[in-house]
Amino acid sequence: MNEPQTPRDEWPLPERDTLTLGMLPLNDAAPLVVARERGFFATHGLDVTLQVESSWAGLRDGMQLGLLDGAQMLPLMPLASTLGLDGRPTPMLSALTLNLGGNAITVSNALYASMQAADPEAMSQAPVSARALVAVVRQRRAAGEPALRFASVYPFSSHRYQLRYWLAEGGVDPDRDLELRVVPPPLVAEQLKAGWLDGYCVGEPWNTLAARRESGRVLLGSHDIWQHGQEKVFAVREAWADAYPATHRAVLRALLEACAWLDIPSQRVEAARLMCEKGYLDVSPTVVEESMAGEGAPATHGMSVFHHHAANFPWRSHLRWYAEQMRRWQHLDVAAPVLEDCLTRCVRPDLFREAADDLGFNYPLVDVKSEGEHASQWALEGRHGDIAMGGDQLLGGGRFSGRG
Amino acid sequence: MTVKVLIVDARPERSRALEQALHEAGFDVVTRADEHDDLYAIMTSVKPDAVIIDAALPSRDTLEHMGQLGRRFPKPMIMLAEEETPDLTREATSAGVSAYVVEDVQPALVRSMVNVAIASFESHRALKGELTKTQTTLSQRRTIERAKSQLMETHAFSEDAAYQWLRKHAMNRRLTIHEVAQAVLASDDDES
Repeated sequence: MNEPQTPRDEWPLPERDTLTLGMLPLNDAAPLVVARERGFFATHGLDVTLQVESSWAGLRDGMQLGLLDGAQMLPLMPLASTLGLDGRPTPMLSALTLNLGGNAITVSNALYASMQAADPEAMSQAPVSARALVAVVRQRRAAGEPALRFASVYPFSSHRYQLRYWLAEGGVDPDRDLELRVVPPPLVAEQLKAGWLDGYCVGEPWNTLAARRESGRVLLGSHDIWQHGQEKVFAVREAWADAYPATHRAVLRALLEACAWLDIPSQRVEAARLMCEKGYLDVSPTVVEESMAGEGAPATHGMSVFHHHAANFPWRSHLRWYAEQMRRWQHLDVAAPVLEDCLTRCVRPDLFREAADDLGFNYPLVDVKSEGEHASQWALEGRHGDIAMGGDQLLGGGRFSGRG
Repeated sequence: MTVKVLIVDARPERSRALEQALHEAGFDVVTRADEHDDLYAIMTSVKPDAVIIDAALPSRDTLEHMGQLGRRFPKPMIMLAEEETPDLTREATSAGVSAYVVEDVQPALVRSMVNVAIASFESHRALKGELTKTQTTLSQRRTIERAKSQLMETHAFSEDAAYQWLRKHAMNRRLTIHEVAQAVLASDDDES
């Protein structure tokens, strides 16, 4: 660790000391839970209440109505809120990424068997190719059976676009060949078992849960689709960030420390315990522990990276990747300059760097990175020497410059 | 026009009362559904003009998706409210009511429908002493803490051993820590 650039006694004093932050019952809310329960918020002079919301819509309402000061969010939510696509038009921004990866695609046992029978070669590929679905879709159509149903968790979600990326890569047209739904994570495993859904893309622990209950098979993880791709962010209203800059900076410091704490694999068991014991996640503790484990553990499909590889840095190009996916499927219709302006407003690496400087944490010097160029670890110049970055492969060998 | 309303609520007693209240206020409640019904099928077949849903239900996100699919599906109230009714939206949120409405329903009717729902939810809560969402998390947490203290007392466990005990039983029975904690407290009540 490096010397803090800003000595502790020169940190600006938070304008507010009592905050309410929103989260969903998901593994990747762990940085918020750890920051509260292990005292990182308290160290930075903040008394934080975590409000567990049951839907992304409820969390969005809380943010737009000003009932929440900040929240765990899907990367596209601040953009959609700023553009007025999701709820009441409300500018929001994010200056910190909570984790990279963490989702997986699971299919029912019945669909798994059909895919296996239809195209064993596609099924033996690593990662499993959606090509195996093409044959199943064709057979079902010929037999006059209804379209297969796949779910993701929210319209403006990473899951929706990761699922579409995988499907399209294997030659499946998601709009024509399947019925795509939105089903909340706590219900997907149950609906898969009941036969209402044939597959889904959700975050952990909901994939491990289906596998544990033997109601489905996990096919691949989000790292197989976009290696070290962005998953959840910490977001606030733009007006809130302007009104309380020192408070925001203190929250970012606490979250950064919590993410670094979560980087140590043995501490993730403790994090799983905090999630279950403190009532944030009402799921069996084994499932949470198993799905929280880091690299090398058996359940790695839905693995989250919480800190290393500059995981917390808010790359402007990460949000651009998601925005490009929305465009690809005709879900986003805005002029290029409007989108550019939004990307600049919604992603704030400058604010991240202030908080990182307070702590002496390393960070990248550029705001944009390409994707699909590195198959394994590589070095990127940072404020305090090189940063070991993770691979950033895209399924099928795709490339993305990161620039508009 | 008569506004056709769909109620989505996991508590049958409360949704029956709401149906009655909406009916008296001149709304046409087409059907009631709960968390475990197929909302895609229901929405497509009954084509409601409005949906009143318990704000604590995760299925709100399914309605958000349908709202994005096109004009014929109801949109979240916060989207329609604009400058006009932020207070009503806030009031509804704190009462645990969430509304989705198609664009051509008159704002006055939306206000009236949401007010009926708020009143109905609040009187039900007053009657039942029910917990709100935030209180539920807190109460879960207290249940687990109480169960731990009890285990520490009766078995002379350390705090960590008490947690491990709860965890082990949760694992073996595929339950959550909260459920095991409830069972621990219930069994003690039986004995005393």
